[in-house]
Amino acid sequence: MALWVSWPAVAGSSETPRQSREHWAYQAVRSVPPPADAGGANPVDAFIRRSLARAGGIPAPEADRRTLIRRVTLDLTGLPPDPASVDLFVADPAPDAYERWVDRLLQSPAYGERWARHWMDAAHFAETHGHDQDRIRTNAWPYRDYLIASFNADVPYARFVREQIAGDVLFPGDPQATVALGFLAAGPWDESSLRDIREDTLDRQIGRYLDRDDMITTVMSVLASSTVHCARCHDHKFDPIPQADYYALQADFAGVDRANRLFDREPAVHRRRQELRKWQRGIESMDPAVLTGTEATEAVTRWERDRREHASTWVPIVPIEFTSEGGASLSRLPDDSLLAAGIRPERDTYSITATPPPGIVISAIRLDVLTDPSLPQGGPGRADNGNLHLSEFQFRITVPGTGSAEDMDFADVLADHNQESWTIQHSVDRVDTTAWGVHPEEGRSHHAIFILRKPLRPAPGARLEFKLQQRHGGGHEIGRLRLSVTDHASPVTDPPDRIATIISRSPSERTAEEQGTLTAWVFGNRVRSELATLPPPSRVYAAASDFEPDGGLKPSDRPRPVSILKRGEITQPTIAAEPGALACIPVLPARFAADQSPDEGRRRAALAEWLASDANPLTWRSVVNRVWALHFGSGLVATLNDFGSMGAQPSHADLLDWLAAWFRDDAHGSLKQLHRLLVTSGTYRQSCAPPESHSKAMETSDPDNRLYWRMNRTRQDAECVRDSILHFSGRLDRTMGGPSDRQFGLQPGIHVTPKVDYSVFDVDSAAGSRRSVYRFLFRTLPDPFMSALDCPAGDQITAARNNSVTVQQALALWNDRFVVRQAEHFAERLASVTETDRIVRACQCVWGRPPSPDERALLQRYADRHGMAGLCRLLLNSNEFLFIN
Amino acid sequence: MNGGASQMDLFDYKPALFRHAGEAFDPGRGVRVEAATSEPGKVLRPPFPFRQHGESGRWVSDLLPHTAQCVDQMAFLMAMQSRTNVHGPGSYLMNTGFLLPGFPCLGAWVSYALGNESEDLPTFIVLPDARGLPYNQKGNFSAGFLPVTHQGTVIDGGPSGPIPGLRPPDSAAYITPASNAEGLELLQQLNAAHLHSNPGDSRLEARIEAYELAARMQLSAPEAFSLGGETPATRRLYGLDQPTTAEFGRRCLLARRLVERGVRFVQVWSGAGGPTGNWDNHSSIAKELPPMCAATDQPVAALLRDLRARGLLDDTLVLWNTEFGRMPFSQGGEGRDHNGGTFVGWMAGAGIRAGTSYGESDEWSWKASRDVTTNYDFHATVLHLLGLDHTRLTWLHAGTNRRLTDVHGEVIQEVIA
Repeated sequence: MALWVSWPAVAGSSETPRQSREHWAYQAVRSVPPPADAGGANPVDAFIRRSLARAGGIPAPEADRRTLIRRVTLDLTGLPPDPASVDLFVADPAPDAYERWVDRLLQSPAYGERWARHWMDAAHFAETHGHDQDRIRTNAWPYRDYLIASFNADVPYARFVREQIAGDVLFPGDPQATVALGFLAAGPWDESSLRDIREDTLDRQIGRYLDRDDMITTVMSVLASSTVHCARCHDHKFDPIPQADYYALQADFAGVDRANRLFDREPAVHRRRQELRKWQRGIESMDPAVLTGTEATEAVTRWERDRREHASTWVPIVPIEFTSEGGASLSRLPDDSLLAAGIRPERDTYSITATPPPGIVISAIRLDVLTDPSLPQGGPGRADNGNLHLSEFQFRITVPGTGSAEDMDFADVLADHNQESWTIQHSVDRVDTTAWGVHPEEGRSHHAIFILRKPLRPAPGARLEFKLQQRHGGGHEIGRLRLSVTDHASPVTDPPDRIATIISRSPSERTAEEQGTLTAWVFGNRVRSELATLPPPSRVYAAASDFEPDGGLKPSDRPRPVSILKRGEITQPTIAAEPGALACIPVLPARFAADQSPDEGRRRAALAEWLASDANPLTWRSVVNRVWALHFGSGLVATLNDFGSMGAQPSHADLLDWLAAWFRDDAHGSLKQLHRLLVTSGTYRQSCAPPESHSKAMETSDPDNRLYWRMNRTRQDAECVRDSILHFSGRLDRTMGGPSDRQFGLQPGIHVTPKVDYSVFDVDSAAGSRRSVYRFLFRTLPDPFMSALDCPAGDQITAARNNSVTVQQALALWNDRFVVRQAEHFAERLASVTETDRIVRACQCVWGRPPSPDERALLQRYADRHGMAGLCRLLLNSNEFLFIN
Repeated sequence: MNGGASQMDLFDYKPALFRHAGEAFDPGRGVRVEAATSEPGKVLRPPFPFRQHGESGRWVSDLLPHTAQCVDQMAFLMAMQSRTNVHGPGSYLMNTGFLLPGFPCLGAWVSYALGNESEDLPTFIVLPDARGLPYNQKGNFSAGFLPVTHQGTVIDGGPSGPIPGLRPPDSAAYITPASNAEGLELLQQLNAAHLHSNPGDSRLEARIEAYELAARMQLSAPEAFSLGGETPATRRLYGLDQPTTAEFGRRCLLARRLVERGVRFVQVWSGAGGPTGNWDNHSSIAKELPPMCAATDQPVAALLRDLRARGLLDDTLVLWNTEFGRMPFSQGGEGRDHNGGTFVGWMAGAGIRAGTSYGESDEWSWKASRDVTTNYDFHATVLHLLGLDHTRLTWLHAGTNRRLTDVHGEVIQEVIA
C-alpha cells in the first residue's frame, strides 16, 4: 500500500488555525502508566479512583451478586440469566466466580448477536431503501450475519475496520470480507434520484453527492468520531477540517454505488469468480492488459493448436426412426438432417433412433440446428422469432433383443453460441424448466457438442437412441437438426465467420486489432463457460463497483469525477477533488494516489489503511470510548461520534489514552479482552444505588456521575425487552442467521413501496420467535412496539440510544399484542412449577430475585383474582424489569 | 398535498400558457430546460378556467370553488422553491428541512418547543390519507434525533382504536376491565416501592406518571376521535354526507376537534405515495387533478369556516402546502413533470396578514422570479408565528446545533399581520 500512497503533501489545504490542530483528539495516543498508588488491581479502577479521590469521593460498594449477574449478562448477551444460573452464581464460593461467568458469556453466540446489534445502530442498518421508493433489500441480511460471526470470532479491530471500507480489495480471498462492505451500503438510498430520474439532470448529481455524504458521515462518525460532514459547504467551523478534506473523502467513494454484489461462500470459488469477472470486464472493454495477458494469450495458443492438431471429423448418423411426441411431422432431407413441419405444439419431444456408423468409436455427439427457408425467420427454431429451447438432450445405447440399455453421461458440453442465461449446460442439467437457446442470433445455424464421459464402442447390432426434450413452451422447438459423431477426444465448436476469416491467416499476417478480436472471442468463451460451471453465487447488498445494471443504476468503470462545491452547491463546482482523508493527523497521508487509476478500490483501500493505522489516534480512542459507553451508560467522551471542539472533553483523558493504547498494543484489537477488562473492573461492579450517607455529597458535586462514583442505571433497550419476554415465555427460538423475519403483513403497494401492516402479524408464528436482531428492519415503517422503546429506524446513525420514558411506551408495554400474548405463554410455562412457587419463579425470571413476603402476598392476591397471565403482564410492565441496576 | 400540486392549474394564473399552448417551451436566453423523469414537451394549457375572487382579487381555478371563497383570509406564497425535483428528498425537505432521512420534522420541532397543552392526547398527530401513507411514509413524521415522544402519532383508524395500544387486543380474554384497573393499581404500587429503594432517578418517576397519563388517555381519547357529537350541519359543512368529500372531510373535522382539545400540531394528508391517486399528475392534468380537488376543496374551506366560527382561527395557523410544483410544459400527453423551480402554498389564521400574497414566478410559472420563499423561509415564518425564533430552536446532534432551517431561513414579514 505504501507504494502508491503519497505521504503528507497537502499544499495549502489546511489553513485552519494552528490552535485547533492542537486539540486533544488529533494528538498521538499517549503512553500513560496507570497510577500506582490509587489501589485496585484493574488499571481502569486505578485511573477512576484517582480522579474520584481528587474530588473527595469514594467508590460505591460492590453490587450484590444477583444484581451483578443480571447486569453483566444482559450487557454482554442481551438476554437475562436463568433463575438456576443466578442461584448457582450467588452460591459459588470461588473468588473468581464472576470472572468465570464473564468468560462464559463472552463465549456464548448470544454475545455476537448483542454486539452486532450495537454496530447496526451505528451503521444505521435497515433492509429497505428508506425514501419515497422504500424498496426491500432482499440481500441486506448477510451483512448482519457477518457482524455476528465477526464479533463472535473476535476479529481484531484493525482488520474489522479494513474490512468495512475495503474488505474486497484488501482480503480478496475471503468472501466474508466482501460481505463486510454492507457497512457502506447500510444507510438509506434514494432510488428515485439514483435510478429512475434522467441521468442528465442536476437532481441525479445531487443524489450522488448526498449518497456519498451518507457514506462519509457514517464512516467518519462511527470509526473516527469526526464530524467531517460539517465541512460540506464551507471549512469546518470548529475543527481543523477544510472543505477540501470533505471532498477528498467524497472522492474515496466516487466509484461505488449501493447494489447487490455477488460473492461465493466458498473461498476458492469466490477467488476464482473475482478473477474470471475481472477478465470478463477486461474483455468487454477490450482492455489490452487483459487481452495480451498470459491467461488470454495462452488460451488462444492452446485453442489454435487444438484446432490444428485435433481437427475433428464428424460422421453424420442416419436416422432410421424419428418421431415427434407433440405431433409435428419430421422428415429426412438428403443431407440426413430432419426438418419439422406441420403442427407446432406448445411443447415437444423428438425421439430419434439410428444405427452407429460401422467400426467407429464415439467420443462425442454433435447437434447441428440448421436454418431452413421454411422456418420462421429462417430458423433454426420454430418459435416466431426463430429461437428454440432445448430443455434436455439424452443419449442412450441399446442392443435390441438383449434388453441391454445404457444411458450415457456427458463430461462436457459446448455450443457455438449461448443465449444469455440459456446456456447449453442447461440441456444436460436434468431440469425441465431450463434450456439452451440461441437468441438473439436467430437466422443462423448453430451447433452444440456433447462430449461423453467415456468413449463408446458400440456392440454389434447396437442402436443409438436420442431424446430431445423441448419443454419450455411457446413452440420453442428445433426446426431442423442433424446429428453426427466423432472419435476425437476433445472436439471444439466451429468459430463464427468473422473469426474463421482471422484464423485462416497465420498470426504474423493478422493485424493487432484482428488478434484482439480473436483473443476476445476465444478467451471470452473460455471465461464464460467456466463462470457457467461455478456454483450459483450469493448476493449481499453492499458498496459495489461491479454489479448488474438495474434501470438507470449502472456501475461506473472508473471513479466518477468529484468537484469541490462552493457552498456545497451542485451548480458551483470549483476544482477537482483528490482522494484522501483528514489533514489534521500529520503523521498520516492526507491525500492518496495522485495517479489517475481507474481502479476505485485503491482509494477505499487507502482510506481503510488510514483509518486502521496504529498511528491514527481517532480510531483507537473512538472504539474504546464507544465500548466503554455501552458498558457504563456514558462515554469517557460523552459525544461518542464527535471528538471535535463542539464535542465533549474527555472526563478521564489519561484513562482514555491508556485504554486506546492497551487495546491496540496489548489486546491486539481484541474486543472480547476489552469487554473483559471493563466488566471485571471494580468500577463496573459498583452498586447503582449506594447508601444515602455515601451518595449525598456526590449527588451535589457530580450529579451526572461523570466521575463514576456509582454505576449508572440503564433502561433495557427494545431488543433486550423483547428477547427477555420471549425467553421468560419459553418461546425464544435461538436459531441463528439467514433471511430476516418479517413481522408484518406484506402486500404490494401502489407503486414501489409495499404495504406493511404490523397489526396482522401472528405473534405466535415462527417468524415471531427468534431474537430481535433477526427482525426485518423496514426503514420508513419501523415496528411501532420497538420504536416506542427507542429502537432506531435506520435513517440516522445512532451513537447512543435514547432512554425515553413516554406515554406511548407505557401503552405499548401494557397493551401491545406481543406482550399481552407472551404473558399468557409465560403463565402457561409457570404452570409446570408447583403452584405455591409460581409467583416466586415469575419474579426470579423477570427481576432476577425472589419477591419479599409482602410483595408475594400482594402478587398472589392479584393472581388469585385475575389469573397468572394478568400477573405476568403486570411484572413485564414493572420498573424493576425495565431498568437494570 | 402529496405529490406536487400543480400551481399553474390551481393558483398561479399565467396567460402565457393559454396563448402559447402547444408551442415548444423556450424560456429564451438559451437556457437549458431539464425535467426529472421525461423529455421536456410542448407548453401545456391549463385545462380549467381561472377567475378572480374576493376583495383581494386572487386568481383561482374553477377546480377549487370553495377555497376560492376564502382567499381573503389567506396569505399566498406565490414563489416557493424546492432544492429538488424528486419526491423522496422533496417531501423530506418540506417536512424536515433536509433532503436526507433522519431529521426531525416541523411537527416534532413544534412539539419539542411548545410542549403538550393537552393532558391526555399526544402533542403531534398525523392523519394520513385512507389510501396509505405519503412518500417516505413515517419518515415524514419522524422525531429524528429529538426524543421519540415528539414523533407524529399516526391515526390510522385501525382495529386497535384511534391511538395505537390504547386498549388491549380483543383476543386477550384474560384481560377484563377489573383486571386492568386493579393491575395498573398494583403496578403503580410496585413501581413506587422500587422507586423508594432506588431514589433520585427521575426516569423511574416519569414511568409512574406515564402510566397515569396512559390511563387518562384511555378514557378521554375515544371521545376526541368520535364524530358522534357533531351536528348534522357541521357534518354537511365538511362534506361528510358526500362520498367524494367524506374521507378527507372526516379528517379535517377530526383536526378541528384535536386542535380544540389542545393538540399542538395536526397534519392532514391528501394522497398516498406512488404515481397515482395523489397530486403527482404525470399522465393527465385534466383527468387526474379534478378528483383530488373535488375531494379536498370543500373540506378545506369548511375547516377555515368552522375554526373561524368557533373563534379558533385567531390562534390556529392553517397551512396548505405540497413538496414542489409542476412544469409549464407537457410530459408525453397531458400531464406535467415535477418542478422545484416554483410552487404555491398558502397560510391562514393566527397572525397571518389576510388577503395578501408574496412572491411571483416568471411568465410561465417555470421558475420563481421575485421574492422567493424557500422551505427554510417557510419554516422560519411558521416558527415565528408560533412564537419561536428559528435560529434559537436547536438540538446538538453529531457535532452541530441542528435547526429546522439548517443555516438558512428568513422570516417573511410581508405575510405577517
